[in-house]
Amino acid sequence: MVATLVQLIINGLLLGGIYALISIGLTLIFGVVEIINFAHGEFLMLSMYASFWLFQLYGVDPYLSLFMVIPAFFVIGWATQRIIIQPIIHAPPLNQIFATVGVSMVLQNAALFFWKADYRTVRTAYSTLSLKTGGLMISFPRLVAFVLALLIIAALLIFLKQTYTGKAIRALAQEKRAAMLMGIDIYRMYRIAFGIGIACVGAAGAILIPIYYAFPTVGALFVLIAFVVVILGGYNSLVGALIGGLIIGLVEAFSGFFLSPHLKEAVYFVIFIFILLLRPVGLFGRA
Amino acid sequence: MPTWGRSTLLNLDTISTYYGDVQALRKVSLHVKEGQIVSIVGSNGAGKSTTLNTISGVVQCSSGTIEFLGKRIENLPPHQIVEMGLVQIPEARLLFPYMTVLENLELGSFASRARKETKESLESVFELFPILRDRKNQLAGTLSGGEQQMLAIARGLMAKPQLLMLDEPSLGLAPLLVKQVFETVKRINAQGITVLLVEQNVFHSLSVADEAFVLENGSVVLGGPGKEVLDNPQVREAYLGI
Amino acid sequence: MDMSLNVMKSSWNPFHPRFYFPLALVVFLFILPILPQKTYYQDLILMIFFWGTLAAAWNLVGGFAGQISLGHTAFFGIGAYTSTLLWLEFGLSPWLGMFAGAGLAILVAIGIGVPCFRLRSHFFALATIAFAEVLRYVASYWRGLTQGGVGLLIPFRPALGSFMFHGKLPYAYIALGLMLLIILVSAIIRNSRFGFYLVSLREDQDAAETLGVNTSRCKLIALIISVFFTAVVGTFYAQYLLFIDPDSVFSLPFSIELALLTIIGGLGTVIGPIIGSFILTPLDVLLRGWLGGISAGLNFIVYGIVLVVAVIYFPRGIAGWLKTWYEPLLNRLPGSKLAFAPGGTASSPPYTTRATNPGNPDPPDEQITAPLFKAQSLTKYFGGLAAVKDVSFEINQGEILGLIGPNGAGKTTIFNAITGFLSPDSGRIEFRGKEITDLKPPHKVCLTHIGRTFQLVKPFNNMTVLENVMVGTFSRVRGAKGAREEAIKVLDFIGLLKQRDSLASSLTIADRKRLELGRALATKPELLLLDEVVAGLNPRETEEIIKIIRAISQQGITLFIIEHVMKAIMTLSHRIIVLHHGEMIAEGTPEEISRDKRVIDAYLGEEYLA
Repeated sequence: MVATLVQLIINGLLLGGIYALISIGLTLIFGVVEIINFAHGEFLMLSMYASFWLFQLYGVDPYLSLFMVIPAFFVIGWATQRIIIQPIIHAPPLNQIFATVGVSMVLQNAALFFWKADYRTVRTAYSTLSLKTGGLMISFPRLVAFVLALLIIAALLIFLKQTYTGKAIRALAQEKRAAMLMGIDIYRMYRIAFGIGIACVGAAGAILIPIYYAFPTVGALFVLIAFVVVILGGYNSLVGALIGGLIIGLVEAFSGFFLSPHLKEAVYFVIFIFILLLRPVGLFGRA
Repeated sequence: MPTWGRSTLLNLDTISTYYGDVQALRKVSLHVKEGQIVSIVGSNGAGKSTTLNTISGVVQCSSGTIEFLGKRIENLPPHQIVEMGLVQIPEARLLFPYMTVLENLELGSFASRARKETKESLESVFELFPILRDRKNQLAGTLSGGEQQMLAIARGLMAKPQLLMLDEPSLGLAPLLVKQVFETVKRINAQGITVLLVEQNVFHSLSVADEAFVLENGSVVLGGPGKEVLDNPQVREAYLGI
Repeated sequence: MDMSLNVMKSSWNPFHPRFYFPLALVVFLFILPILPQKTYYQDLILMIFFWGTLAAAWNLVGGFAGQISLGHTAFFGIGAYTSTLLWLEFGLSPWLGMFAGAGLAILVAIGIGVPCFRLRSHFFALATIAFAEVLRYVASYWRGLTQGGVGLLIPFRPALGSFMFHGKLPYAYIALGLMLLIILVSAIIRNSRFGFYLVSLREDQDAAETLGVNTSRCKLIALIISVFFTAVVGTFYAQYLLFIDPDSVFSLPFSIELALLTIIGGLGTVIGPIIGSFILTPLDVLLRGWLGGISAGLNFIVYGIVLVVAVIYFPRGIAGWLKTWYEPLLNRLPGSKLAFAPGGTASSPPYTTRATNPGNPDPPDEQITAPLFKAQSLTKYFGGLAAVKDVSFEINQGEILGLIGPNGAGKTTIFNAITGFLSPDSGRIEFRGKEITDLKPPHKVCLTHIGRTFQLVKPFNNMTVLENVMVGTFSRVRGAKGAREEAIKVLDFIGLLKQRDSLASSLTIADRKRLELGRALATKPELLLLDEVVAGLNPRETEEIIKIIRAISQQGITLFIIEHVMKAIMTLSHRIIVLHHGEMIAEGTPEEISRDKRVIDAYLGEEYLA
């Protein structure tokens, strides 16, 4: 019994790490640019496909593809902010919501058009490898995914804490007008923050492809999870996104086992609704 | 040095600013000469903060010109104006509450021209405000009112300003601290930094001012050397309507 | 103003194009389903009516009330599943099952709406998505109830009672009937007190509350009506296709589609959603045919681009553009020179207020009347800081009390405490002898005859000047005609009668301040709180508005005024109280105040007189 519990905890945490990586990008965007990116999941989907094709056509290992995916998606995020988000930054919420919803529709269906609805995944030499210790089984790709996700998150947090640009981004999220008066070019910071947010979700895609399937609507699945994590952790707290991701991973593992694999999704929606109603700022958020 | 010998650092010429279609500034003209302390006084809603925000580029003026160090700045974005050495310490201080004192100060020297001298600047502001050195790892939001004001001023100094603008630095402070703030302003000025001071508190700000302008409902109604304006009964009229 | 208003007004004269043109359109709609030979086109027409009805239902909540729901599919699905299950299990006719479904959907909507309406727009949208998704899971995985992902099949046994028919025509006419019904309901709402209240709360919820609008209840009623129609159409869908499954009736793209149709057609207008459906439904079917035939998903790419472009560049939709040539078109048709509405402009009695004390500009004798308003030891903390500390004062009937004090003194906090925007931490507020200390939300305070204006004016931008004031008069008069007449009197009094049909957003700041005053006056207050009415006006405008304020006082209304412009408040007020750092430091006549040492200290600094 204990072994089962520990196994569940491990599975949950491993999964949670990836959720955290996806969600942290969303939190960063929402905290700095103050916009809810309804198309966040589609960027995940795109990067999963990107890694898939890099593997399929050029034999690039997904984990190695990170070196290409991360900078590429930073640029994509940067461009998205400039072209689509910037014009609507002062628009009423309705317009903002539907602009990103529209982007989401376009990307989903472009994927459907170009790559069909088939499920794609990457099978490498280590895909089915798993470590066995003391009665526990740890899937190797999931472990690598977890470690990489945490490394990237750590790198992001260090960047934001120690570098000038990182501090400027945090300052902008806390007090916009003062940031302007410090000589910070806030529009440039918006682009950088959006770029980083999309780079994070891009990295998550490359890490995910060995253990999950890519298909045009895969983003929709993960983005709802990401929203739950962001609301749970606190929509302006990066640490909250990390902890929230791990919590949701655990919730999924446990409810999948004790309830039913299908109901686990319903469970975290219920959590989502409760948080929105009872403590909208989330666990670590600030009013 | 007599005033007529100094160069004009900042010049506003018939500036009008609108918020939507509310006219906040009506053809405001004023100037600040190098090395001076210039005060703008006026009651609430007179347009004092709007004047500073227009100068800093946070708000766009609809007509008129602003010149700083001989260059036209009314169409520049805020960060470029800071780069030139025109720094504002905003009303209500607007510190970054969840960052430490040290981080707030470091951000003060974000502009590239100030960044090279961050270390030296830190030393000199710690000398000016020793208590900040003690509190350097404390979160800015947890400081007392007086300490926050000091931090705000120090943060502004970190940007290596040639002209430092302060928006109501004495707001919400106890009388003793108010005195300290104005002492600090004089010290900063003595170090060679030109100061443009916006205040509701007439006595102190006019006492330290070399030159003063009185704003009422968006227009300059009075101007002249600080002491003269202080003694002028029109000031009372502008404030109390009688 | 909306086209629909003209339709309503014009039902007086059947020979005027304002009446017969829309009637002709309706007749055309009735003919439409029988025109085509191919069932393909009949189906298309039916789909147009179907989506039009759904979009119009969504528009009540998303357009009129401005609450962006992305979970309406939940109610559609509940309607479809409820009636279907009742038919399959119990043989209950879908005509009745329809109402059961609607009833259930309404209960669920109340359960969702009440807690969620207080969320900000992005979060409200997210919450509605989440609720709909939960329902989809329930439908997918509660196999015992819904057969899960397999879906439910309704055996085809055509009969009127079983809501199944041969051919498409009966369905098309039912759909048309539903569409016309929702248009009628929308038009009635739009021109009724309820409709005005909905739009006002969309434009500015706080301002609406101060005019007596119970915003929570209005949102809920709009939701209930919207959900009713959505669920009924869900039943219709089930009976038309004879097959439902969770993914098709609980689908997020469905919810998005409703919003898309409405936005492109014209959010918040009566016919916008219908226009949206007439344009986009055929477009969708066409695209699906062409591009979807080439490859799945291509049509949605175009759709998505249309959405993004529409939202960024044409946020007002097509209805707004159509309005500009509807009038000229009508004027060209025969009969347009006829008079269309009876009734003229009988000279109406001048504007009067509720106050029983007409014109007495002098302050009343304090011994005779008890004070109208009393505040005792009001205290309010924000965080650790006392915004207002132990403030006590009285206001006598008919006087003008001024409230002044340097920045951050706590003046607006007092206004907010009085008008129900916040509760004081301690202290007591009495009005006309009754305690109102914790009276909340603000619309209740309005109903006790206390009105207010805001420092930064809050006009209902997308309503005309007349409509703005009508929101106020509706708090005293129920019917639209009466409300309009009263509003015209108010506009006459404040001098905005000429601009009555202009949009509030097009007014100058001076006129917007007047509008704000007029709107508050329309609620017939006994005590009127004015928050910095004079700020931002030039000397001439200031003089004019001071005249109006004096005229208001002469009507017997008691005034409590915050001002920074000293000249104004000194000349207007009978008495003045002075706040500094949240505490009251002086009280007296303007003369006394201007010479009071403490006041001078507070404003000019302690050492000024030293």
